[in-house]
Amino acid sequence: MTTTAAPATTTPVVGFDQVTKSYGDVRAVDGISLRLHPGQTVALLGPNGAGKSTTLDLLLGLKHPDSGTVSLFGGTPREAIAAGRVGAMLQSGGLMDEVTVAELVKLGCSLHPRPYKAADVMARAGIAQIADRKVNKLSGGQAQRVRFALATAGDSDLIILDEPTTGMDVSARQAFWATMREQADQGRTVLFATHYLEEADAIADRVLVLHRGRLLADGTAAEIKAKAGARRVSFDLEGEIDGTALRALPFLTSIDISGQTVRIQSTDADATVHAVYGLGVYPRNLEVAGLGLEQAFVAITEAEEAKQS
Amino acid sequence: MNALIKLELARALRNKKFLFFSVLYPTSLFLIFSSSSGSGEKVDGTGLTVATYLMVSMASFGALTAVLMGNSERIAKERESGWVRQLRLTTLPGRGYVFAKIASAAVVSLPSIIVLFIAAAAIKHVHLDAWQWLALTGIIWAGSLVFAALGVAIGYLATGDAVRPITMIIYFGLSILGGLWMPTTTFPKVLQDIAKWLPTHAYAALGRAIEQSQTPSTTDVAVLAGYFVLFAGGAAWLYRKDTLKA
Repeated sequence: MTTTAAPATTTPVVGFDQVTKSYGDVRAVDGISLRLHPGQTVALLGPNGAGKSTTLDLLLGLKHPDSGTVSLFGGTPREAIAAGRVGAMLQSGGLMDEVTVAELVKLGCSLHPRPYKAADVMARAGIAQIADRKVNKLSGGQAQRVRFALATAGDSDLIILDEPTTGMDVSARQAFWATMREQADQGRTVLFATHYLEEADAIADRVLVLHRGRLLADGTAAEIKAKAGARRVSFDLEGEIDGTALRALPFLTSIDISGQTVRIQSTDADATVHAVYGLGVYPRNLEVAGLGLEQAFVAITEAEEAKQS
Repeated sequence: MNALIKLELARALRNKKFLFFSVLYPTSLFLIFSSSSGSGEKVDGTGLTVATYLMVSMASFGALTAVLMGNSERIAKERESGWVRQLRLTTLPGRGYVFAKIASAAVVSLPSIIVLFIAAAAIKHVHLDAWQWLALTGIIWAGSLVFAALGVAIGYLATGDAVRPITMIIYFGLSILGGLWMPTTTFPKVLQDIAKWLPTHAYAALGRAIEQSQTPSTTDVAVLAGYFVLFAGGAAWLYRKDTLKA
């Protein structure tokens, strides 16, 4: 497991030390240790049910770990939140209804020790034009942006976002991430959970891969992509199949030959396909496809387990 | 926290249904109930005219409505919607949410009491000394805190679906059995015995003692104080349980 280098002298923004949390028999978070350092933009990447939301809840002190310790800025989550150092937007975070968007954002600003102007907060979140609308009349995407406005109502050092673009269309997504990058460029630490590898790749300078409550990988987006970015190559061959030659193809992570059909997983599909032609065979029905994220996680898990054993 | 109280209040004052039920409804009931009896008619064993007697009952009922109805339902629904969680991610201290709810209810319950008193004095010619009016307002307003605590407890106990019927049953049960709608002396013996121990009965009895220029009975004060400890303690316990679970 690679760790992004950071100065050892600074107090980590987020510290997890051997944290576990179970619901009945299910280990939602299973022994996670990690440190986030100031100024990093970090993606918490994992499929649904990987433990992302539980991890964020633990981090924010909304849930308490069964064992291990969680710290924010060297203190408890509640201390950091009470000092206004954290702005957070959760999937499960509701909004006060029967009030207008502007009233709610103003409330958010007045609850922050270093507030921004409500008008600026709304403009940045792209909700200025719906300022007078009642909160209970908003679409899913609009409500998400109001949540984002509440998370950025003041000058916080750490911003936590749990699947922030859920319910947004493509253009809203792009606008959202542009705003988010501004926040990160001002030196804030940003931690966001997502199940889109592309989002993690485009935004984060560090990616934590979470699967079944465990931290599978921790590295730059490029490193994660190399691990998770395996592609699937499949084709049919006629006549006798030379299994030994196929197994020796470059960049293979797995191969399955059944009947005349060959299915390969490769970390560099272009090179693998090129080498197939190099064997002097003529593949038919050639298909190259990306792995779904779920399969990519399985691939990473297998790779990690193989490394450990 | 002031900002939250202000916004809670603005929301309550905008809610016409809530305002009707907590401010105008008790006054209307008072006028209807007291219209059937002559102005000189006394309620047995109290020395008070029917209008004077009913005024305290209905003022207590109005304050009860203002502090119990809105809050229990809002708290239960806002726990479910996640607004309570969202607030926990702000600098607002944990109890701030509950205090804002109680404070905004208290601001609505005061006009509910005063409107009724004005109607009683102007239309039903209820005569009391100045100190009695002030003491009545103070004691009914302060006593409503007991039921505000009950509202919070119900809000943390019930789910969003169940909260309305549960609140209704408790609200009407306490109002009617406690004698806010009609004197408990008209009840069968069994119900009278139950009524004696209800917080609403003790609540209205305090107000009535002021009307009669008497010292409130220690039993009534003790019953009301006991319920306050029970409801506030229960609300605090349920609140903490909810915080750990959320």
